[in-house]
Amino acid sequence: MLLERANEVHWTWLVYLEMFVAGVAAGAMVTAAILEFAGRGRAPLARTAHFLAFPLMAAAGVLLIVDLSRPERFWHMVVMSERLLPILKPWSPMSAGTLLLSAFSGACFVSFVDALVDVRRVRLGGWHHGRTIHGGPLGVAWATISALLAMGVGIYSAVLLTTSTIPGWAHQVMIPAVYATTAIMTGMAAVVLIQAVRRQVDADVLSIAHANRWLVGWWLVTLLVFLLTLVGGPSARIFLTGVPLFTLVAAVVLAGIAPFVVAFFRPSGPAVRLALSSVLVLVGGFLVRYAIVMAPQSH
Amino acid sequence: MSQAMGFMTDTTLCIGCKACEVACKEWNQLPAINGGVNTLSGDSYDNTRVLDGENWRHVRFVEQFNLLDPTRDGARWLLMSDVCKHCVQAGCLEVCPTGAIIRTEFDTVVIQSDVCNGCRYCIAACPFDVIGINQATNTAMKCTLCYDRMQNGLTPACAQACPTASIQFGPLTELKARGAHRVEQLHAAGETRAYLYGVENDGYTEQIGGLNSFFLLVDPPVTYKLPARPTLPTKSSIPEWLTGWGSALVAGVVGLLSFRQRRIASLRASDGPTASDSPSAAVRASAAHMPEEP
Repeated sequence: MLLERANEVHWTWLVYLEMFVAGVAAGAMVTAAILEFAGRGRAPLARTAHFLAFPLMAAAGVLLIVDLSRPERFWHMVVMSERLLPILKPWSPMSAGTLLLSAFSGACFVSFVDALVDVRRVRLGGWHHGRTIHGGPLGVAWATISALLAMGVGIYSAVLLTTSTIPGWAHQVMIPAVYATTAIMTGMAAVVLIQAVRRQVDADVLSIAHANRWLVGWWLVTLLVFLLTLVGGPSARIFLTGVPLFTLVAAVVLAGIAPFVVAFFRPSGPAVRLALSSVLVLVGGFLVRYAIVMAPQSH
Repeated sequence: MSQAMGFMTDTTLCIGCKACEVACKEWNQLPAINGGVNTLSGDSYDNTRVLDGENWRHVRFVEQFNLLDPTRDGARWLLMSDVCKHCVQAGCLEVCPTGAIIRTEFDTVVIQSDVCNGCRYCIAACPFDVIGINQATNTAMKCTLCYDRMQNGLTPACAQACPTASIQFGPLTELKARGAHRVEQLHAAGETRAYLYGVENDGYTEQIGGLNSFFLLVDPPVTYKLPARPTLPTKSSIPEWLTGWGSALVAGVVGLLSFRQRRIASLRASDGPTASDSPSAAVRASAAHMPEEP
């Protein structure tokens, strides 16, 4: 592996912002799936997750397209430009990711419309308030498919980084583990945050917030293992020095420690506590993505 | 498929004239860098600096001088005209999501500029740091081994211009035989360090199946800024997918179980007296927002 490279990929703020936004959308859909599996598919929290995921995926798509050097050719990733046949190279993480993003965006859109139907904003023939996908007979199947696609979206961007020859990303098997957990953790935090801000803290919100504390614990484990795998290797000087190290430590403190401190000391009512904890988790998740994307490029 | 074609670059014959760079730029109509304003790198006579989207040939000057030795005994100047290696298993081609990068009938690797959308993944996947974004087209570009010339039976511009035959072009089988003979010749002449980088069983490039553009070197690859063990990134992606899925599934199951456990507990607790700031109190406080249990 070449340790010094002249040609840069220039995957900067548009890319790590897209990874964060798509990760939050994926986590929101996993949260909605957890609610569906628990028989709470039509709970307000699940609806919030459905209302959140699709706009975020739309924004993520725009970010990805804008990041291309030739944005007007974004469709070349989906369809061959001359023969107009679908293109898929499953062994290429970016090609697989394009398929995952497209399918997941479609699933998010259906759930978004279903949420609109549920609140009586939309009625499409037999698709009406009394007969929605979520909470209905199809709910668990649809939630399972959506959750699997969500996890795929949460993972592929990390595999995209590791399937490269860039020192710091190449062959780092723990980056996908960190990314997957970051996505679910931040998605849960985002839907809890919205409900907390709206002062709609019910048993579902509290239970998801409780679940997210366990996820934060799992996230810390994956992050710690990732950092341990770096020690003594050539990537140590990329991640474990200077700004990247500071960013990772800040992420651990903000997302991994501070929410527990907030929960322990109970400085205010549950809504404020939940909002504060959620913001901390979101900021920490964002910082981890920033560090992992930027450290190898700024080294 | 036509016969596999390629380059052999014999670094022992390179004189650093840069005719290859000029011929390449001229034939392929590659733009000047830095708006045509020439800046000196301070790195020997190398002002091209890198292979990228605008420089598809780059003559590398490796100075090996001991400045503390006034006699300059043993001083060496290694020269190498670097180029895309047209890997037998090319990382750029594997990862390109648009199909812009193709393998031609000559077994070379070419980026179709009219298809490329500038995602830059090929830049990240190239083990030799060859590909860059061409500022004129905003697409990824690199050496095509003069695909257009080859299709018309012509020699690539760089090989055509090279005055010392340091850059040789031809059918790969023929080039490899010529390379092996040249190594024997150098060994016989006393240059026992000479070897081929990019051929079968060279001890360096097996992981990518060798190079269609290979080199005769006299120092370790790293001296020429070539990787000692270039890899195909897609070969290692399965464990990375697996750790991602493993972590996601653990997170999903942990989330589901802890949600169910907490929710059952809080519903039970809501039946009895609780502190004002407890979760169950919050549950009751927000009872108006609670949907009916299905």
